[in-house]
Amino acid sequence: MKMTTTKRLERLTDRYQNGGVSRRSFLGLAAAAAASAGIGLRWAPQALAAVSEVRFDGWGGVVQEAIDKYALQPYTAKTGIKVTQGTFGDESEILTKVKTAAPGEFQVIHSSGVEYYKRYADGGLLTKINEANIPNMANVMPAMIEPFRKIAPDLSCVPYDYGTTGIAYNTKVISEEEAKEKGALLLVDPKYSGKIGGYSDMVTRVWYAALQTGQDPNNVTDIEAVWAKIREQRDIVKKYWSSGAELMDLLAKEEIVVTDAWSGRIAALKQQGAPVGYIDPPKSYAWMEDMLILKGAPMQECEELVNFMLDPATAIAVAEGQNYPPSLDPTKVQLTDKIKALPAFDPTGEMKALTFADPGYWSSNLDAWTKQWDRISKGG
Amino acid sequence: MNAVAESRGLGWRLVQVFTVLVYVFMFAPIMVVVILSFNDSQFGGFPMTGISFRWYAKLMENDAVLRAFQTSIIVALITAVICSALGVLGALALVRYEFPGKEWINTILIAPALVPETVLGVGLLLLMRWAEQPRTLWLLVLGHIMLALPYVVLVVQARLIGIKRVYEEAALSLGANRIQTFREITLPLLMPAVVASLLLVFTISFDNITASMFWRPSGVETMPTQILSMLKVSISPEINALGTLMIIVTVGLPLIGGGLARYLARSGR
Amino acid sequence: MAANPQTAAERRAPWLLLAPSLITLVLLMILPICIMFVYSFYEFVTAGVEKHVYTTANWREFFSDSYYHMFLWKTARVAAITAILCALLGYPPAYFIAMTQYKHKWLLLLLLIVPFWISFTIRTFSWIHILGEQGVINVLLMKTGLISEPLRLLYTEGAVIMGMIHFLLPYMILNIYVSIEGIDRNLISAARTLGCTAWQAFYEVVLPLSLPGLMAGLLLCFVLAAGSYVTPDILGSTRDSLFGNVIFDTIMGQLNWPMGSALSIVLLVLLGIVAVIYSRFMGLSRVFKGLGA
Repeated sequence: MKMTTTKRLERLTDRYQNGGVSRRSFLGLAAAAAASAGIGLRWAPQALAAVSEVRFDGWGGVVQEAIDKYALQPYTAKTGIKVTQGTFGDESEILTKVKTAAPGEFQVIHSSGVEYYKRYADGGLLTKINEANIPNMANVMPAMIEPFRKIAPDLSCVPYDYGTTGIAYNTKVISEEEAKEKGALLLVDPKYSGKIGGYSDMVTRVWYAALQTGQDPNNVTDIEAVWAKIREQRDIVKKYWSSGAELMDLLAKEEIVVTDAWSGRIAALKQQGAPVGYIDPPKSYAWMEDMLILKGAPMQECEELVNFMLDPATAIAVAEGQNYPPSLDPTKVQLTDKIKALPAFDPTGEMKALTFADPGYWSSNLDAWTKQWDRISKGG
Repeated sequence: MNAVAESRGLGWRLVQVFTVLVYVFMFAPIMVVVILSFNDSQFGGFPMTGISFRWYAKLMENDAVLRAFQTSIIVALITAVICSALGVLGALALVRYEFPGKEWINTILIAPALVPETVLGVGLLLLMRWAEQPRTLWLLVLGHIMLALPYVVLVVQARLIGIKRVYEEAALSLGANRIQTFREITLPLLMPAVVASLLLVFTISFDNITASMFWRPSGVETMPTQILSMLKVSISPEINALGTLMIIVTVGLPLIGGGLARYLARSGR
Repeated sequence: MAANPQTAAERRAPWLLLAPSLITLVLLMILPICIMFVYSFYEFVTAGVEKHVYTTANWREFFSDSYYHMFLWKTARVAAITAILCALLGYPPAYFIAMTQYKHKWLLLLLLIVPFWISFTIRTFSWIHILGEQGVINVLLMKTGLISEPLRLLYTEGAVIMGMIHFLLPYMILNIYVSIEGIDRNLISAARTLGCTAWQAFYEVVLPLSLPGLMAGLLLCFVLAAGSYVTPDILGSTRDSLFGNVIFDTIMGQLNWPMGSALSIVLLVLLGIVAVIYSRFMGLSRVFKGLGA
């Protein structure tokens, strides 16, 4: 708390006059500021604190460890700005938190792609970053920037990495031939009843059920068939996991032998020597992740952070650590062999080979489908 | 009494054995947590692979846990002080005065203990939404005060009934006013109950999770919600170490407090 | 009242003393429940957004959708099983503590209080180490060769009930203990002198007289179990969710405040009815006593 209360209130008044905060929340924040000054506790929302801290929320586990080690810690060492970190297991969870938080409480999010970006946009949570402050954007694949720009011409994020949700299997139990042959159907194979896992996330579940019923995930024509398939799988699944760390745990302890899985986490498991294989079935669910800056965040510091993260040296180190290919254009930046060998890596830099979720389509079905998945997962 | 004692045969033995088993049932799982917190293995289950303190060391470096601990302590302390003050005043009114509608008031004061916490959680959250106020830690404090109030009222009431009115009446007849009487006579006699309720409220607040999950500001974790979110990720031995530390805090504190209260009561006499 | 010699100040005094508590509870408990009622008639637009127009859609959905009825039924069943098992497990120890002439009876009582001090979250997750695949039971059974594959004990309804019993048992024992302790011992002696066997004395004297405590314990356990969602969250799979989980997910997951409000009202009213029926027979003051014990 380097700032005095008066200063803090002044800043707040500024933001209020500039329309950054609504009147009601201004009064609330002012009261909170006064209260926190009164008892000398650091209770006021993050927005009031002096900007010597940036809040970063990511996916936890090995991915966040890599980001922390290769990007956040060096950033703090360089700028003296501390990065407070939080984690989440699925993005709906953090999105809900952001929606119910005061603006500025959450600042930078490792967001999982365009369809989620659309949800933040719909919730009015985006801001406008000054791309001039992020010179390293020049190295990012245009194919990864365009989808975001289509949703909002003013970017609120920088694309950072990409990956797929394919199928991971225990090689001691399932052969590569069998996995390739069965593809998405492996996840509903009664042979492995009680040994199957899955991500407890609506999009992933609907996506794979669409593949299993022979439909295009971005244009489902028979949604009832999809729900029926999800119910069928639910009855033979051992556990729907809810974070990357849990996914790795379940596979490593061999509690499950097959599951849909995030490419990077499986690459990490393989490096640890676990008997795990990974395939992307046709039309596997791909996503491009971005570093999202939210409305109310301290822009200058956040822009500096994402620029630092996009620096080729940093981005390559992070990519090798988290096992997801970076957003750097492989035709412009020399990437390492390790990155080139990562699953889902696209050497062309055009992203044509991967199937991403259509943001408009998924967000229009979001509420109804989330509710239905919620019901099915609870046995309804 | 003797008739009862003499007749104790097989049935009584069975009851005795059963009682021991129930106590084992209550404490064995907790002991397992404590034992496993020293497990060297990187997975939080059996078998033990060695004895190690490394999970405690790791815990001390865990920023999120330390933050959550700090949050919980602050919230619990403030809640304990405010809630006990409210409860003592309320109990005083209920025990020392006669007034119309007393039964109703009593019921309202006890109600938060009977209304499902989930409902209280949703309700207060809606109030904040209705008033368009953001969730801050004050919401946790206010909510915890509400949750703990019935227990303070009950504890203090029980003690007040035991304090004979003659002491207070004597003071009053000697010319002290109500406030002086309370300060000089009632409060010292009430001290054990006050200490007990401070501790009780502290533990209720420190431990609360059901309602706190609704009330905590986004991104803020209290100790129990932090444990819950760690559980969601993986059952790591770190959680066992954390659990053990919390047991030491929450069991040690009341034991010390209880001793202290007894000491105070004795020296007050 | 008019004839009362109390001064005006004296009459005001209790209300002044009560004011802080009452204001707190009116603002934080009663007003929110009213708002909840109003919200249940608002229209849900999308996650986190609702229109402030009157609609009965939420209530129609609740009454017509068997999904919610299934959860009500399941919650009632799980809570009832939990309460009854608590009573069966809790009665003998309560009887023992009340009747024993053991010198260190205080220790037994203290040990009953200690669980209240240990975090509920920790007590609940400790069962993961007992029931899990690498938990005590599975490891022991595998070691002795009784089973070759670990049994699925965790993340089941049984695990949820076990966790709730573990949490609620001290409440039950204390309630029963208080009522047995209050029985006049001479009655038991009298029954014995009149030729009753020990069992008859228990059955004819102790049991009926301890019934209020037993019933208070049952009510308390039922209400607390029926309102919980954290235990199913930790020890159950999503399929073992209770009504509380549905409320939590509706509010915190879907941000559907109107429906969540309606469901909360349902829980409040149903459990309120249980308490009212009970108090018709027993008097609610018993429960207060139980809470204070």
